[in-house]
Amino acid sequence: MATIRRFKAMDLFTVNNINLDKYTETYPLGFYLSYMSQWPDLFSAAESAGGRLMGYMMGKVEGKGELWHGHVTALTVAPECRRLGLARGLMRFLEDASEKTYDCYFVDLFVRPSNKVAVRMYETLGYILYRQVIDYYMGNGVMPTEYAYDMRRALPRDVGGKSVVPLKHPVSIEETFF
Amino acid sequence: MEQRQLRPVYDALNIDNVKQALKECDRLLRKNPNHLSAHALKAYALARLGDTDDALEIGEKILKLSKSAANLHVRQALVLTYKFLRRPAEVIAVYNAAQKHLPDDESIYTSIFLTAASNEMFSEQHQAAVAVNKAFKREKYTWWIVVSLLVQSQFEKGPGNAQLQLTLAQRMAEKALQDHHVTNTEHLRVLLLVLDAQGNHEAMLSALSLNSPMAQQIANDPDLVTQRIDLLVKTRSFKEAIDAAAQTLDTRDNWIDYKLYIEAAVGAIKQFAGDPDAQQQVLSDTCERLTKWSHTRGRARGAQLATVELAAKIDVSGFSVGHESCVRSLGDQIWAYVDSFQNKAICYSDIMQYFVDNVREAAEATDSSPAISTALLDFHSDQLSQRIQQVRQNADNSEDSAQAWVNMEKIRYLLQALRGDDDPEKWIAGVDSFLKFGLDSKNAKAKQAASSDMVLLACQRLIQAMFLAYPRDQQKTHGLLTRAVFTILCVLEEGIRLNGENFLLKLYAIRLYLCLSCYSRARTLYDSLDIKHIQNDTLGYFIVGQGLALGCFIPDLELSYQGVSFYDTAYVTIPHELESAYKNGTYSNVPDFLEFNDNLKNSFQRQVSHRCALRNETIEQGRSKDVVEVLETTDTQSIELTDSVLASLHDNRDFKVMGLLTPLDMAQWNLEILTRPTPVHSAHWIRVFSFLPQVMHYVAVVDVEALEAKKGQLLSTVAEAGDSLSVYDKKIVQGICCIADIYTCSLEKTSSVDEKIDELVKIIDTGIPDEETADPKPTDLCKLPLSTIRDLAVVTEIFTYAVCAKHSASRHNLPFSNAFGFALTQLRKKALRCIPALKSWSNKSARSAISDSWVDTDQPMLLSDISHIMRTKHKQALDTVVKGCADSWLKSAKGVLAHWEQCSL
Repeated sequence: MATIRRFKAMDLFTVNNINLDKYTETYPLGFYLSYMSQWPDLFSAAESAGGRLMGYMMGKVEGKGELWHGHVTALTVAPECRRLGLARGLMRFLEDASEKTYDCYFVDLFVRPSNKVAVRMYETLGYILYRQVIDYYMGNGVMPTEYAYDMRRALPRDVGGKSVVPLKHPVSIEETFF
Repeated sequence: MEQRQLRPVYDALNIDNVKQALKECDRLLRKNPNHLSAHALKAYALARLGDTDDALEIGEKILKLSKSAANLHVRQALVLTYKFLRRPAEVIAVYNAAQKHLPDDESIYTSIFLTAASNEMFSEQHQAAVAVNKAFKREKYTWWIVVSLLVQSQFEKGPGNAQLQLTLAQRMAEKALQDHHVTNTEHLRVLLLVLDAQGNHEAMLSALSLNSPMAQQIANDPDLVTQRIDLLVKTRSFKEAIDAAAQTLDTRDNWIDYKLYIEAAVGAIKQFAGDPDAQQQVLSDTCERLTKWSHTRGRARGAQLATVELAAKIDVSGFSVGHESCVRSLGDQIWAYVDSFQNKAICYSDIMQYFVDNVREAAEATDSSPAISTALLDFHSDQLSQRIQQVRQNADNSEDSAQAWVNMEKIRYLLQALRGDDDPEKWIAGVDSFLKFGLDSKNAKAKQAASSDMVLLACQRLIQAMFLAYPRDQQKTHGLLTRAVFTILCVLEEGIRLNGENFLLKLYAIRLYLCLSCYSRARTLYDSLDIKHIQNDTLGYFIVGQGLALGCFIPDLELSYQGVSFYDTAYVTIPHELESAYKNGTYSNVPDFLEFNDNLKNSFQRQVSHRCALRNETIEQGRSKDVVEVLETTDTQSIELTDSVLASLHDNRDFKVMGLLTPLDMAQWNLEILTRPTPVHSAHWIRVFSFLPQVMHYVAVVDVEALEAKKGQLLSTVAEAGDSLSVYDKKIVQGICCIADIYTCSLEKTSSVDEKIDELVKIIDTGIPDEETADPKPTDLCKLPLSTIRDLAVVTEIFTYAVCAKHSASRHNLPFSNAFGFALTQLRKKALRCIPALKSWSNKSARSAISDSWVDTDQPMLLSDISHIMRTKHKQALDTVVKGCADSWLKSAKGVLAHWEQCSL
């Protein structure tokens, strides 16, 4: 239980309890602000009853034709706020907007295979492993270099589920650009 | 043709070879001295190379020429030049000049608007919006005007006419609504912002009406749905608010909606005063719905916390309408919530404030501290004791059970703090069992979050007990205090070893290492948290300036630069994104971005980072005589901060990050405050260290009158600052004032210069460790972390300033320069004899001294049992702390020694 609302620039002053987690990257300012200025309804925050941030999700829409889709850029929840269903709530926020506001065909996301808890959660939310992306995550001294799982879930517009037929071979990062 | 001619210039600029670009411009100008584009690009190249005056001169000349700005290359180059030089007014002047010749060019109109908008030139922004709308009449330009008026009314400094601006904005936005130009939720949000700024809730509700053409889009926007409920509550339409909230809560689990629902229900009950049946009906309906939602899968937490909220509201309102039938007392409701969700890590932070509100009796509160109800505290303590034993016994069973114990222990901590328990023994009661669970159990080996939380909780209790038993201001217990800090660090290091993902353990360890003057190990832990970008502003306070205070000048300078460079980046990034918000039509971001920009531009930590960078730079340059020239020519006046500037600073520092277990207003129990190695930087600190380079500037230029005046300001600031400045900061001021006195005495011949030189020598000399201090006996070990290293770093800084002053005196042939130089040379000789002794001791003997004083000692202390546990069962962590301390002190000694060696006279 939390309040899920739009993320605001002022929230950046209070994300430390979330971003100090080792799986969460702190990006340059421009990265957050550009998402806010382009897709404000796809960047949401979860706030506790006491007014503290518990997690957030950054998303965008991109692609052409049948590749028009919602993308989860970052989804993170503070360590003490895990196992509460927050990530599901935030995902639902993005899926709803992708479906109802942007009329997308599918939603996709990248995740570290080593983050097994996250992979399992996405699977329970109906996401399938669509393809692997070679060396998507670069090591930074804290986290190692790693492949990414590109996971997808079809939205009602993709009637035949074409967007979620898994690829057989890994792809390079360049092949994932829309 | 022109494009081809300019290609080499652009190519050079594209690869950042600005000197080559300048050469290419000169080459073109030799062939054709009237080549305007080459002139404009030359201005840009000169600006990039730091030749601002010439760049501006060329720009001004070009702009005076008729039609020059109509040329695209000239215009672009001049815009780039002025943008680079951060001169938005000149950028607009370029576009204005171009507009005269290209009156139909829409992009020039929008560029003027975006330049003004992104640089917070609100009046120009509004005028530009009106102009572009008048010329091209597009829907988006109407909204540019509305947003311009809105932000002008809210953010323009100085006397303005906010009400008129808002009224105009409202008229335009409402007309847009009538004309069906409110076509998306961003338009609607702007209208709502305008109406909200005027407190016009009825009109806001009307805009959010379910019958509006935007109804479907509103329904798909969760924030707007919530805003509508909020407005219904604000307009006291409680019945409609209840219905709207209930309808929303039937489909989603959102805390703010629960909160508004409760607020509406309580409002309705109040409205029915005198009609107990109606009141009872509202209450019953509310309880019924909450019960229904609590039985929905995944919804229990929200609904049950809402029941606690309802009980709290009823508690405050003092209703006696038979609510006992469906809502229990707040105390009972709190415990019902704890019983249901004690196995969730979030449980404590959900419920903590309700405990606090429940036991604080607002009616009897005083200004200093709210009164506490002992009866209610006893009630909660009784409830806790009925449960805690059970959860403790079950903690090994599962992670959920362990989490339940953690939550109960957190509640115990809070109740103890609320009771004002100042018995250290009671604070450490049970900590041994925490450590057994957190460090030795199978849960710990499995790296369960709860076991790591238990280690943290143990440390929080130990810290609380330590500062109660050994206050910092009681010198006789300093030996015990440092030993206790060392012991707690051992626990923290073991916790980090077992679960390095727990950043809270690292934050506490950073603080405690700094309390022991161990910068290097603290910095390693800080770096392991990968703190960067915005975190420089919010978390930099943990460590920025500490390296300077502990002799690690270069690492501190690097960190200060990291902060300064973040703020410089923000200076470019935020205006760019403001432009994007206008271009993308996401107008509701604009007030948020402006507020964010203001918070960063006027950030407290930004000032701190600049001052620390400046001090570190001076120390670095203090190795050479060049520093005097730098001090002579530097514009130190511009860094003076007035009261109004200081008052407008925003404190973005995140003081809540340390996982505090008590509300922030309970300072005595606030571990963030208790663990500060020195007072956090205050407004007084910023002012003092703004005056300091100014004093040194007047020393360098030998302006005694100004020097005296500045010294007076410095001293009065210190007097005002009280304890917000550390003793070390005050010592630096003392040293600087003494340097100033040497000058004034010499030039005004008011008293003996020799006495003043002796005074300065004494100040510096007391901070240089003598041979005994540099090789401390085990019994004196506490002096090293508590004073020796910090004193040494402080006098090193003062010595640097003194050397600068001496060089200045020599340059100006002041009569005391030889005597001054001789005195400083003697000091340097002593330092170069004693500091190596400290370095050698840190390298060779520190570890055994720590073992003798803090590990293998039989002297009893509060934390002896914990020390024994760590010594016998967790030797590895103990070794880590011993090594961390010794290595850190060694690095401090090396840093200081290197400086004295190179700081020649």
